[in-house]
Order: sequence, then structure tokens, then C-alpha cells
Amino acid sequence: MTNNMVILKLENISKYFIGRNGKLPVLKNINLEIEEGEFLCIVGPSGCGKTTLLNIIAGLERSNSGVVLHKGKSVDMASPERILIFQELGLFPWLTVQKNVEFGLRLKKISSKEREKIALEYLDMVNLIKFKSAYIHELSGGMKQRVALARALAINPEVLLMDEPFTSLDAQTRDILHVEIQKIWSITKKTIVFVTHNVREAVCLGNRVIVFSSTPTEIKAIFRVDLERPRHIEDHGLMEIARLVLSELKFEIEKVFEEEFSAKTDN
Amino acid sequence: MRKRIIKKIFFYIILFLLWEGLVLLKFWPEYIFPSPIKVFKTMIAGLQDLTFLIAIGISLRRILIGYGISILFGGSLGLLMSKFKSIDDTLCGLILGLQTLPSICWLPLSLLWFGLNERAIIFVVIMGALFSITIATDSGIKNVSPLYIKAGRNMGGRRFRLFLYVIIPAALPSIISGLKQGWSFAWRSLMAGELLFVNLGLGYLLMMGRELNDMSQVIAVMLIIALISIFVDKLILGRIELSIRRKWGTG
Repeated sequence: MTNNMVILKLENISKYFIGRNGKLPVLKNINLEIEEGEFLCIVGPSGCGKTTLLNIIAGLERSNSGVVLHKGKSVDMASPERILIFQELGLFPWLTVQKNVEFGLRLKKISSKEREKIALEYLDMVNLIKFKSAYIHELSGGMKQRVALARALAINPEVLLMDEPFTSLDAQTRDILHVEIQKIWSITKKTIVFVTHNVREAVCLGNRVIVFSSTPTEIKAIFRVDLERPRHIEDHGLMEIARLVLSELKFEIEKVFEEEFSAKTDN
Repeated sequence: MRKRIIKKIFFYIILFLLWEGLVLLKFWPEYIFPSPIKVFKTMIAGLQDLTFLIAIGISLRRILIGYGISILFGGSLGLLMSKFKSIDDTLCGLILGLQTLPSICWLPLSLLWFGLNERAIIFVVIMGALFSITIATDSGIKNVSPLYIKAGRNMGGRRFRLFLYVIIPAALPSIISGLKQGWSFAWRSLMAGELLFVNLGLGYLLMMGRELNDMSQVIAVMLIIALISIFVDKLILGRIELSIRRKWGTG
């Protein structure tokens, strides 16, 4: 794992938003190297700019300073080589499941026959062949997640960015998807950057877990997870590591709460 | 479903009997209140000797040209407004203002500009539908969820293709309701125009019924006008709307 090539390099990424009270720093000097084929998880307190960072990596948003290098080339616009699965998914309600999965291929001007073949292959991978003609509103939350995953994989991106994808699901569905995503990762060998606020999920999925501080966000700690796969969220070894990660994170979460409460009393 | 159809049929039978009953009671003379059978006979006769068919053809031609042009221009104008802020800032108020003007008010202007001919009446039809379609297109495009646009961009969509594959389909529900509204405005203005500016068409036939004191013709033509409107509104535009709503899961 450690000898792999660096696919993404984040150099001094900083980002602020302009709010009512002036500049609001969100990300502060983020430096990070992500290896090809790595499953990297990022955890952090809510509002710490995890989503912003994914958007910057995807090229959908710009940082105020610093660069993202994708295979040495600076990222300045969105590209199908880095597909972001949004927290709200952004599946297209006017298309069937299959047409959603084909969407990126249609933009690549791939022939309809070839598109269908690829789409069905990935729908099969996420076990949704039976629902290929359904419309999005007819699916359950977990199925929608899998469509979004198939849609992203069909494009065959080098990097998959996932923004808290399983947050809105019930625990049972989430467990199943944890197994599925690990399986898909081991088949496709994609580089995955996975953002979550769930520490155990991060430890369950990632080769590395990065803990973000509260805003202005910096990298607080990095944990390497070398447990055997497939891992299950209830595994004993996993809980041990999760406890370590949590103790780092807890401090940050408490800091956020304190700030929010003091902001309230100030008003 | 079947129960609903039976209910409907039952309702119309009662309506028919009520109407026929009132005629038989002779509250009003027949030339003021004709029987439904007489109206029906007039309708058949009018269709058979082609006078009604010709009038329908002429009115449909006018509405198709006028409504078609409205869709073309309204759609383009709405598109420009949604894309260019300065066009939006300047035109938006004007268009909202013009939309509140009943389109038949354009008739005098139109007659002075074009004279007593087809173009004058088509112009009124265009003005009837144009602004509703413009406003619906504009707001439909503006209200497309940024999430869909982001997803489209991420998957490699740029400019034209992003527009064609993401923005237009996402805006379609709103555009369709604008088209429906536009249709009913266009049809109303056409009828008003044909009544005032008598030159063939269904409105003219209606007016002729009055002049001949032929109440059965008046009612028969009114029925035809309503039926055409229902046909387009429910069976064509309504179907499209329903199929979109089914896909989106909103209907």
C-alpha cells in the first residue's frame, strides 16, 4: 500500500466564506497526499468543511489558496475523472435507473449499445438489475445510494469522492452497504475519499482515517487501519481503533458546542 | 375507475334529462331555449354541410400558428432572461405588466398595424400566450436545483449538453404548466378576436348564430369551442404533464 503512487496531492488548501461578520475561515492549510487505490476516510465535527474540501477536490468549488494536484496536474475545473457522490445524491428524477447510470457515458458520446452494456454491468454489481426501468422516486434510500454508486462507477473515474453517503439510511441498510462498498472497492481498485461524521464507519471502511479539527479546519490526526477485510462495524479490533479516533474527535466536537453556546449567549 | 366513469355518464344523462324537461315545460320559447336534441341535430348538420368543419379548420390553423410562434418566442425569451441577468433585470417587470393586460386589448393596435386580415388575429393569439410561456420558462430554468447542475458538470457536462440533458429536463415540469396556461390564454383570445373581428372561424360562426337568431347554432358552436379546448388541454398537454409527474413521483 505504502509504495503506491500518489494520485491526489493537496497543497496548502485554504478556504474562507464571506459572511455577515466578515471572512469566515473554513479550511486552513490542508496538506494531504492520497495514494492510488487508497480508501481514505475523513471524519470531523459537523460544519468543519469536509463537504467543501470534497467540492474543491472535485473541482466544483475553488479554494482561496493552495492547489489540488491530480496526477501532478492542477485541478481547476470539474472532471469525470473525479466523481463526487453528493450527500443528496443528485440523481435525475426524469430518467430511469438505467438512464441515470448511462448519463456520464452519454456525455462521453459512447454508443447506446456500449452504454447499455456498461450500465447493466454496474447495476449488476450493486444488485439493481431488476430495477433498471424504475424511476428514482420509486426506490428506497439504500437503493438510491446504490444507483448513485453505479452511476459514478460507470464513468470509470480515477477517484471516487463520497460525501456522507450513508448518513440518512437506517442501520441495517448501512451495514449491508458497508459490506458492498468494501467489495466494490476491492474489485474496482478505485481511489476513494470518503467523508463521514461516523467514526466507526470511517474505521470500518478506510485504510487511513483522517481527523479534522473544528473550523478553521486543520488535520488533527491520522490513523492507519490495517485490519483484515471485509470488516464489520461491530468487529472488536475495529472498536479499539474507533475509540482512539473518537477521543481525538471528541475534543473538537466539544469545542464546536462551546462556541455555538457562547455565540448564543452573546446574542 | 369504472365506478367513476359510470358516475360521469349518469351525471350527463341527468343533465340531459333536466335540460329536455325544462324545454318540455315550455318556460321559455324554443328560439330562446332549444332542446338538446335540436342542438345536436344542428351540430350534425353543420358538420355535414362543412360550415362547422371549415370554421373549425380556420380557427385551428390560427391557433396553431399563433400558439406555435408563442412557444418559439416565449421559450427563447424565457431562456435569454434566465441566462442574462441584464435582460432579466430590464425585461422582467415589463413582461409581468404586459401579462396582466388581457390580450384582446391588443386587437385595436393589431388591426391598425396589420389591417383586417389573418395576421392581425394571429398577433392577438401570440400576445395571449407569449408572456405566460416566457415567465414559466424563465422561472423553470432559474429554479433548477443547483445539485442537478453540479452533478451534470461533475460527469462532464458543459454548456450546451449540460443545458440539453440537465437543465431543460429539470425545468420541464414548470415549462409544461406555462404551456398549459398559455394554451388557454391563446384560445380565449382567439375566440374573443373572432367574435369582434368577424371573419370566418368559430367565433364568427357563433356571432352568425346570433344574427340569424339561431340559438341552437349558438349553443352547438359553444360546445364545439369547449370540446376543442378540453381536448388540447386534457388530452394533449395534460397527458404530457401527467407522464412527467409520474416520472418525478409528484403526481
